Amino acid sequence: MTYNTKRFFLAGIVLAVLLGFMGWHWMFRPADTSVASKKTEVVIEADALIKAYSSNEDSTNTLYLNKVVAVTGNIDNITEKDQEISVYLKKKEESTGVMCSFYKTELDKNSIKAGQVISVKGICTGFLMDVVLTKCSIVK
Amino acid sequence: MKSKILALFFLIVSFQFASAQKYVSKNGHIRFYSHTPMENIEADNRQVASILDVSNGEIVFTLLEKAFEFKVALMQEHFNENYMESDKFPKASFKGKITNYSKVDFKKDGVYPAEVTGDLSLHGVTKPFTTKGSIQVKGTTITAMAKFVLVPQNFDIKIPQLVENKIAKEMEVNVDITYNPY
Repeated sequence: MTYNTKRFFLAGIVLAVLLGFMGWHWMFRPADTSVASKKTEVVIEADALIKAYSSNEDSTNTLYLNKVVAVTGNIDNITEKDQEISVYLKKKEESTGVMCSFYKTELDKNSIKAGQVISVKGICTGFLMDVVLTKCSIVK
Repeated sequence: MKSKILALFFLIVSFQFASAQKYVSKNGHIRFYSHTPMENIEADNRQVASILDVSNGEIVFTLLEKAFEFKVALMQEHFNENYMESDKFPKASFKGKITNYSKVDFKKDGVYPAEVTGDLSLHGVTKPFTTKGSIQVKGTTITAMAKFVLVPQNFDIKIPQLVENKIAKEMEVNVDITYNPY
């Protein structure tokens, strides 16, 4: 084996290992815990989002499902369970709202309080009793 | 006039009575888990909505497939795109009854065994489903817990041959829902 072919093989092996390593890394990349670094795709008032979902769930899903949606609304209550904090945006007189889930690492519970109006962005996962946003972060 | 006020009074009282029978949860937790030689597959859904009617034991769950969160991003993509087809079937639900609800004293603190029977809808397929669990009463909150095994193939969830051995044939499902009066 000449020096050149040896070098060629060596480079090939290094490249293969590197590619394998990168592929492995890509395959097992951890899921995000918040959309803070993601681009907002839709900006909407909480009220308008709720109304859209209440009137026609299927067509609204085609607009917002799986998108990074930023909503502005009034905090009805804040609950904490395991590693998540749920911020429930709802008007007093309404019965449906927007349920926003934060990882505890993404939100300081003491920085917000019920009655306050905030903007939150998260991934819209659909509509159950409320519109559900996951992996939320506060919009500054 | 007097009778109208009286009627209104009774209406309000009966309404409150009726509403006190229903318990609701919007942040229920359902997790599934399966062990594979390569890596464990686990996902959490913490936005499960559920209503429990303690007067007749009726219980309903709904969840959004896309609200299942995995530790590995690619797993979540595959789960939604290849297996659950979440765009086509965005929700899973269960509608049934706690068959032994009369043995549960929802007004007295304690842990009670529970049996649940009903219909489970997943991936567009509805199947009868029965499992055992427990109900914990603590003040005005009720916690329902259950653990059972699901076989994806029973719900027409196709697993490509290529990864057949990497994905367990059975999934262990954990349910943990805390209800508050509606």
